[in-house]
Amino acid sequence: MHNYKSMKLMNFSEVTGPQFHKVHVGVGHRLDAFSSGVLVLGIGKGNGVLEHLCKSHVTRDYMLEGEFGKATDNFTHTGRVIEKTTYDHVTLDKLERVLAMIQGANQKALIMYSQVDLHTQEAYELAVRGLLYPHGKSPPILTGLRCIHFNPPHFTLEVQCVNETQKYLRKLIHEVGLELRTSAVCSGVRRTRDGPFKVENALTRQHWTAGSIIQAIAHFSKATRKIRKLEMYKQTAGQLNSNAQVQEQTRMCENLVKTYSKRLTSVIATKGYITKY
Amino acid sequence: MALVSLRSCGRRGFHLGLSAYVTRPVGTPRKREQQDDTPVFQYVGQHRKPQGKVFVWGYTGALGIPSFVVPDSGRKKPRKYQLTPYHLDTEQKISSAACGYGFTLLASNSRDLTKLWGMGLKKDSQLGFQRTQHDRYKSYDYVLEASPVSLPLVNPQETRVLQVSCGRAHSLVLTDSEGVFSMGNNAYGQRGRKIVEDEVYRFVLQQYKSSVACGQDHSLFLTDRGSVNACGWGADGQTGLGYHNKASCPVPVGGDLAGVKVQQVATYGDCSLAVSTDGHVFGWGNSEYLQLASVTEATQISSPRLLALRGVGRGRQAACGVTQVAVLNEEGEVFVWGFGILGRGPKLSESAIPERLPATFFGRSESNPTVKVSSIRCGLNHFAAITDRGELFVWGKNMRGCLGIGKHDQYFPWRVTVPGHVTDVARGVDHMVALVRSII
Repeated sequence: MHNYKSMKLMNFSEVTGPQFHKVHVGVGHRLDAFSSGVLVLGIGKGNGVLEHLCKSHVTRDYMLEGEFGKATDNFTHTGRVIEKTTYDHVTLDKLERVLAMIQGANQKALIMYSQVDLHTQEAYELAVRGLLYPHGKSPPILTGLRCIHFNPPHFTLEVQCVNETQKYLRKLIHEVGLELRTSAVCSGVRRTRDGPFKVENALTRQHWTAGSIIQAIAHFSKATRKIRKLEMYKQTAGQLNSNAQVQEQTRMCENLVKTYSKRLTSVIATKGYITKY
Repeated sequence: MALVSLRSCGRRGFHLGLSAYVTRPVGTPRKREQQDDTPVFQYVGQHRKPQGKVFVWGYTGALGIPSFVVPDSGRKKPRKYQLTPYHLDTEQKISSAACGYGFTLLASNSRDLTKLWGMGLKKDSQLGFQRTQHDRYKSYDYVLEASPVSLPLVNPQETRVLQVSCGRAHSLVLTDSEGVFSMGNNAYGQRGRKIVEDEVYRFVLQQYKSSVACGQDHSLFLTDRGSVNACGWGADGQTGLGYHNKASCPVPVGGDLAGVKVQQVATYGDCSLAVSTDGHVFGWGNSEYLQLASVTEATQISSPRLLALRGVGRGRQAACGVTQVAVLNEEGEVFVWGFGILGRGPKLSESAIPERLPATFFGRSESNPTVKVSSIRCGLNHFAAITDRGELFVWGKNMRGCLGIGKHDQYFPWRVTVPGHVTDVARGVDHMVALVRSII
């Protein structure tokens, strides 16, 4: 005798369709286990855009919490303590001097890794406008660094960087401590911005529902389209050789991105162009 | 440290070797009593003051590090050029430095008996007289290490050395109470005394001066009242005395400078500049490279003329090279003109009117909008600028590594990586000395 209840039409997936769709979800710039903050994900066709985002050398903003007085093996406050030092000689003035020195060295690195021949007039023109940017493979470079909060032994730094890893940022805190003749550990790394994706638009745990996700995707659809278009132009610009055509591309791209944000600038160097958000 | 780790492992027993196998979750912090066992190190006291250091780079003969020229170990090879800043160990804090053509003078502001050290060429006894071991009446031709230079001071334990300045083969030392001492070649009277054949000794100029500047073969003295005196070779009119002969005694300079209170004089080659207290710039001397083209079409001016520099504003400091000049105004902006690598890219190699260098080169950006240049110096074919944040920027022709950034020429201002705040820099033909204050 057949069980008629189990033979209802709606139990067959050929009738109703599959219950779950498989979607590919990809991750943009990684965030390790110790850190928190904005993590950009791509769903379905958005994964292609993720790749372009990674290649476009966008800057990322971080808030780093540090604590003077000890040095650990993994540069965090949870690691094994290697050494403890005094920190009563550290003042905000000395910390700012050290940060200024680090920033100076990084600004030099920005130009050095831009892969533009520095003995040409074009390099000079780009350098005047502050548009020389690292292109291709480069070590982590900080484009901005400042101290937000100082209350010894705790302090907070805000950094903008390119090509970084979170371990490098924790090591940066350790090196700031070394320059001040003390030791420092990192007690928190928080990413507040990844390219055009800011922490204000990020979805927190209670908003991980289909409705909010669809809304967020719609909110960033313009930004996604821009990233896709910029990458297309980058590929075509790489094939062009003459200066005149390259300049025309610059103008077209500049008109395109002007609508997005005041801080978005683009430049075409001999190989491609670099986008800064 | 071994004792400490033994104590901290005490709770697990005497199993030092097995500690690698004991796993702990990463997020768990260690217990309080284990943390308090670790000794606390103090590297720096609470009242530590920043220290002064000296960094040198360029042609190694004049840097004062003997192991560059004569290696002290078999592994090292003799080096001709030091392309990046190198720390020079000095016994005392150096307050003033000057580089000449192949030699360097370092002076400290102290009241000790030894106030002055010199290294490099001393064939014309531009670094004083040091008796050799073999002959009491002969001096060395060059010294590789910073050797003390003795001055015939009346009160050696009271007088302080304020400033030193070096020219091609002569040097001037300014003290606070005993006037100016000059050493070296006097073939053109640049030392300010009567020309005597086969000169060996030093000479004292007794009037009170507030600063000195040495050109190639002439000297300029600035008195505390703001008047300028000059002596030496004058074929290009660089003495500013109105004639083209040599002057062997310091003579007050007239022309447009008569009655004007001058705050700073600068000279290096055959062109001289002076900045008055109200911000006007005066120039005289060689103008073959358009240094003084704003007032004259001639190739030399023998008497100071007021330079009408458009767009510069109030001048604060001037610096002269051989073929190029630079002026720093009150807002901290740098203007360059002349001939050579001026700092605006490889295309601009000659300019008769002052060209402003954009402040983005000196570190001005969105995060640092108020960076200004605080002082500017000019060497033979290169420039050096120090910002108010203590960073040193150089540009120009890189002769034998004098820029400190490698081997290549630099067409726009580029940072020199020095561990500390640069307070002063002395520039020479092919080497530079930077006086640096440590960060902490």
